[in-house]
Amino acid sequence: MKNNDNSQQVTRHWISVDDFENNPKVIEKKKKEFVEGVTDEFNISTLSLLSRRKFLALVSASAAFAATACTDYKDKGEIIAYNKKPEDVTIGKANFYASTYNDGSGILVKTREGRPIKIDGNPEHPINQGKVPNYVQSAILDLYNPERIKAPQINFNGTLIETQWEIADKEIIEQLNNAVKQNKEIAILSHPIISPTTNKLINEFIAKFPTIRLYTYNLFDDIARQNAWQKCYGTDFNNSIQWDKPKMIIALEADILGTENNAIENIRLFTKRRDIENPKDFNKLYAIEGNFTLTGANADVRIRMNPIYQLGFVLGLINEVLKDNPAIDYWFDIKEKVKNYNLTDLANTYNIPVQKINNLIKDLKNNRGSSFFYAGVSLPEETQIAVNLLNEIIGGTKFYKTDDVNITFTRYSNSIELKSLMVRMQNNQVGAVIHFDTNPVYHISPEYEYAKSIDKVPLKISLTVNENETSKLCKYILPINHSLESWNDFQLRSSYISLQQPVISPLYNTRQKEAILLNWIKPQESEKIFELYHKYLKSRWENEVYPQTAQEVDFQKFWYASLHDGFIKMNSQRIEKPAFNREALKLINITSKTDNFTLQLCDNLSIKDGRYSNNGWLQELPDPITNITWDNYASISPNSARSLGLKNNDVIKVSNDNSSIELPVLIQPGMADSLICVKLGYGRTVAGTIGSNNGTNANVLINSKGLSKFLYNDISIEKTGKVNKLASTQEHHALDDEFVKDKHLERGIIKEGTLKQYIGEPDFLRKGEHHSYLGPDGMPLSITKDFEYPEVKWAMAVDLNKCVGCGLCITACNVENNVPVVGKDQVTRGREMQWIRIDRYYTGTPEDPIASVQPILCQHCDNAPCENVCPVVATTHSPDGLNQMIYNRCVGTRYCANNCPYKVRRFNFYDYRDFFANGFYYKDSLKLAHNPEVTVRSRGVMEKCTFCIQRIMEGRQEAKNEGKIFNGKDIKTACQEACPADAIVFGNLNDPESGVSKLRKHKLGYHILDMLNVRPNVTYIAKLRNTNSEDV
Amino acid sequence: MAIDYTQEAPVVEGKYSFKEISEIISKPMEVFPDKKYFIALGISLAMFGIGIFCWILTFVYGVGKWGSNVPVGWGFDITNFVFWIGIGHAGTLISAILFLFRQRWRTGIARFAEAMTIFAVINAAVFPLFHVGRPWLGYWLFPYPNNYELWVNFTSPLIWDVFAVSTYFIVSLVFWYIGLIPDFASLRDRTKNKIKKVIYSIFSLGWRFSHRHWHNYEMIYLILAGFATPLVLSVHTIVSFDFAVSVIPGWHTTIFPPYFVAGAVFSGFAMVQNVLIFIRKIFNMEHIITIDTLEKMNKIIIVTGSMVGYAYGMEFFIAWYSGNPPELFAFLNRAFGDYSWAYWIMVSCNVIFPQLFWIKKIRRHIVFMFIIGVLVNVGMWFERFVIVVTSLSRDFLPSSWDYFTPTLVDLGILLGSFGLFFTLIILFTKTLPVVSIAEVKAVLDYAQPSHHEEVKNG
Repeated sequence: MKNNDNSQQVTRHWISVDDFENNPKVIEKKKKEFVEGVTDEFNISTLSLLSRRKFLALVSASAAFAATACTDYKDKGEIIAYNKKPEDVTIGKANFYASTYNDGSGILVKTREGRPIKIDGNPEHPINQGKVPNYVQSAILDLYNPERIKAPQINFNGTLIETQWEIADKEIIEQLNNAVKQNKEIAILSHPIISPTTNKLINEFIAKFPTIRLYTYNLFDDIARQNAWQKCYGTDFNNSIQWDKPKMIIALEADILGTENNAIENIRLFTKRRDIENPKDFNKLYAIEGNFTLTGANADVRIRMNPIYQLGFVLGLINEVLKDNPAIDYWFDIKEKVKNYNLTDLANTYNIPVQKINNLIKDLKNNRGSSFFYAGVSLPEETQIAVNLLNEIIGGTKFYKTDDVNITFTRYSNSIELKSLMVRMQNNQVGAVIHFDTNPVYHISPEYEYAKSIDKVPLKISLTVNENETSKLCKYILPINHSLESWNDFQLRSSYISLQQPVISPLYNTRQKEAILLNWIKPQESEKIFELYHKYLKSRWENEVYPQTAQEVDFQKFWYASLHDGFIKMNSQRIEKPAFNREALKLINITSKTDNFTLQLCDNLSIKDGRYSNNGWLQELPDPITNITWDNYASISPNSARSLGLKNNDVIKVSNDNSSIELPVLIQPGMADSLICVKLGYGRTVAGTIGSNNGTNANVLINSKGLSKFLYNDISIEKTGKVNKLASTQEHHALDDEFVKDKHLERGIIKEGTLKQYIGEPDFLRKGEHHSYLGPDGMPLSITKDFEYPEVKWAMAVDLNKCVGCGLCITACNVENNVPVVGKDQVTRGREMQWIRIDRYYTGTPEDPIASVQPILCQHCDNAPCENVCPVVATTHSPDGLNQMIYNRCVGTRYCANNCPYKVRRFNFYDYRDFFANGFYYKDSLKLAHNPEVTVRSRGVMEKCTFCIQRIMEGRQEAKNEGKIFNGKDIKTACQEACPADAIVFGNLNDPESGVSKLRKHKLGYHILDMLNVRPNVTYIAKLRNTNSEDV
Repeated sequence: MAIDYTQEAPVVEGKYSFKEISEIISKPMEVFPDKKYFIALGISLAMFGIGIFCWILTFVYGVGKWGSNVPVGWGFDITNFVFWIGIGHAGTLISAILFLFRQRWRTGIARFAEAMTIFAVINAAVFPLFHVGRPWLGYWLFPYPNNYELWVNFTSPLIWDVFAVSTYFIVSLVFWYIGLIPDFASLRDRTKNKIKKVIYSIFSLGWRFSHRHWHNYEMIYLILAGFATPLVLSVHTIVSFDFAVSVIPGWHTTIFPPYFVAGAVFSGFAMVQNVLIFIRKIFNMEHIITIDTLEKMNKIIIVTGSMVGYAYGMEFFIAWYSGNPPELFAFLNRAFGDYSWAYWIMVSCNVIFPQLFWIKKIRRHIVFMFIIGVLVNVGMWFERFVIVVTSLSRDFLPSSWDYFTPTLVDLGILLGSFGLFFTLIILFTKTLPVVSIAEVKAVLDYAQPSHHEEVKNG
């Protein structure tokens, strides 16, 4: 290249041969500094549409999509805030509504985000005062029961076809009208009606269809008592009893603290007189019973006596009392009649300790005018009459409340009425039968042949929540609302009316049972039916209730205030008890002694008459005395078992006239000999997955030939050779085995004394205790410094004087803490999950023991032995003294449970919600029943009582929000809230004013297994028995 | 036969040349297994398979498949764990402690005992890791660094177990392997199979039988023996802490560490003796694993059995002497309560039957010693069962007392653990020399030749 020739040719650099040779192409290229395209004008249209950013975005998005597609993430549903927030609903904050359960209990329903999750008693309610029975607390499960009938059904020869309400209504109304035209009876079978508005409605219904007859029944009725009262006083027995007033209570075969009506109030009133701060005021309870009941377990003196001898016993007592009574002249005729009944003879004949009976007579004489006798529902009419008379003589009648009487809107249909209904049914004189939330096929004695009789009735209707033995035989099965979905009012006593309001709209296509009737009276458009009964109820209140109350506010305000409170007070008139009719005594004829067995049919504390069968929590609630779950059984005394050669779990055949049942034996210490007790309510066959086929249906033994509905003589027993293992939560040891006997006393688990001992020497419990391990400050010696709890320290105290062992705390804890149901086979294996249990110990001979009950829950020990052995630190101690469980960290070595001296830890051996009944409790609707504040535990994790930490944290947060110092004053655990005796006290130990610190220092306070120095934080207050020193 | 106790009995009976020794011991690895071998392997694999099936059931459904409950949270799982750890004790004791004490008779049985140790520990380790409620989280028992800021609880005896067992396993494995190196070299030199040769070459680490190699070998073997010796005592001591550290009557006992160690050696020796009886017969090693050796083992069984018996008695005495009623009850309950059948099986198998070994004829009689060995192992399994289950089933509060009944899955897992153990042993007999070739040669009468002796070399 020429121009290059002039320049420095020697130093020239060349990059290729072409360059060196000055190829024109290279020269051309060299002119351009940059490669072609680089310096070109930037033209967007020529570029790829895919920018770098977009490319990267697409790459990452596709990677993300691929990754998501490969996971098995399931959409667990949306959790979004309310689009339109309902008034009064704040997410995460519970709302409480006062309402009433269908049995008349005043309830307070806790709802979260619109769904009810817990039922407690309405604290203001005059009877309940914040406490409700087990079946009301457990009703949460019934509400969300996936097996509820979800739409009206028509039964075509056993095939159930879902239908529309309109179709069913139309067909039914037509047929009802036909029945009236043909002058055929329309029978309504109902439980006693306790709602004034329902009562009014039924009357209107009867007015519309004039051939209607209403029949009411209950499996557990008190007809014998009512009849006796009629004979003695000529009126219905409707007095409530002031259990807190008598100094001495003598319960004859009456489980006043357990299965008798109104037990919640009874327990409250009874335990009012068991206040250790007021020992001189203690009442004294005698239980005279054949069965071993909760009342017997709590009695200061329990005299075991077969119920058939109790008439003679009462007459003997009358004889004794009249012997030197100043009112002798007044009762002269009676004195003459009873003079042959000698208690000593009776005691000797039936092997009853004479000493106990003499003491009873002495006590009766010392407490003239302040003693009260009460006869249980199972006792025959004659015994009831004798007890009424005895109360008249000793002045016990003043304990009947006269200004607040029980209200009855309906009376039980007697056997003649029911028999004639059956006859009319068989003769085709009955055109329709309406089961108004009843199950007579299961409940009514087989004598009536009810199932066979209704076969002849052309129109059979069942209004029911769940399918049952009766609905199966009905043509129309109409689903009704649960209590928590309904409107109504209830009146059990003259002094108040309780209101029921729905706390959730009906979950399924159901209607309120009253609305169904209203609609049949005057058919409405279907949209209006939802409000139909609400309006009816409101208008009755406006026209009938509101004027009575003489309010200054207008009705609307009055209505809302009543709904808010859940009840209104009424002025009740005083009803004096009429004079005793002496003629009644003439009806008494003492039954002769029998060598054969007597059968007693009993109530139970869980599933009641079987209507709560499909509730797992109730089925798994241990019987307070036998601790048996899921089953009924034949309780029999150790002596009788020995003479018949029976062992626990042996199946026997119990026959009564033409009926017989087979069920396993349970040897019950303390039962009267030659007596068999069987719980009713079991053996349902059509009651859903959980409720069916648990135990044996003993209703079939009911007939009209018995001494009473619940008591039968001349029962025969046969050994079948079969064995059916009962599921008990407490192992049954041979009580007479010296080897394991009285371990609970020896180890200081149960500490008891007598009232006299306590009054004479208040620190008798701690006297003579010698602890070499205690330092000079009274605290156990330790080489390490104690951990300090400067702010709040939680502790609990259980007053065993008040605790009767009813088990309401167990249910409350189940509901609050999402405790799973494990099923019978798992209970048999010893894997029940309840966080609080009630231990029952016997002391004395198997023939006539004393029972002690004791609720046991996590003791939240300061030196918790469970904590140091956990390899993964899954159980730790909180700064406020709680022993905590970290479910997420738990791997499930079970070491903590092994090392727990109180054995309160519960292990998820399976994922119990999945394991039990093929995942029954995993069904969608039941998930709504869970308390959202408590983790639902899965398989392989340890769990235990937390002292309701979710409530503590809520209180702590509230205090923080309000800028207050948290002292834990208002925190209540679920068990504490449910306890009808207020036996459980929970609080801050650092607050010297709190109830728990006072009880902890109390002279009767003790800790279980103190010697282990684990320093438990649950103090037990020793039980004082108000016995004569000779009885101990 | 009178034995002159002033003279040490020869370890190997008869005059075998070094070559013959090598041949006898290597023979099982050099011939193809016969039908009997496969039948035996099949049986033990079937047992193992049952165990695996039961474990799978447990993993899928939960430990609810077992018989445990509250209060008896541990049943067969921890019983099996302690039992197998105990079996594992004989190996280290024989190979380490007896080595330090210059017990020449150990050479015939040391290799086998060590292998058993390893198999038993593998077997044992399965239980604490997988008996938990959530076995997929079993690794949380190890202190591994993680971003949850979680750490284990060093006050828990279960964590001590993790360390004790894993240390024991690693040390035993290394010790065993070091001992195998010269034998691997011998096998490498003997084999004509190329694949085998490669494998043996790798494992023999270039061993050339040089003096320098022997020198280093002896030194490391001695050091490892010293290292393993305290482990023999520590492992079962720590396992016993699982119980001793708790508060449960029947568990909370200071006698547990020595008592557990004695028991472990006792059961370990019985198991070694049992299995060796078959091995020496099947593989014609009666002259290497001699009756004299077996007799010596039986003597140790008497000693440890008596120690265990003393511990049983002392437990009762202390329970009474302590004046602690729950403690006394726990022991009376063992002997006379619901589980007394298990207790009396334990006492008769562990204390009474081994005393028959005082009789020389029985001590040297193959059938008798085998039966007693089996009984000892049955007894020792029941000892652990008695400790674990009876104490828990009757603890402080009578209300929570319950009875433990094992399920089929429990039994299946127990069977499976024996299956795993025997499978490993059967495989071992055909894969590795069951007796140390090098060590046995060293204890032959003419192994240390001197000019006084006529040396017949092979």
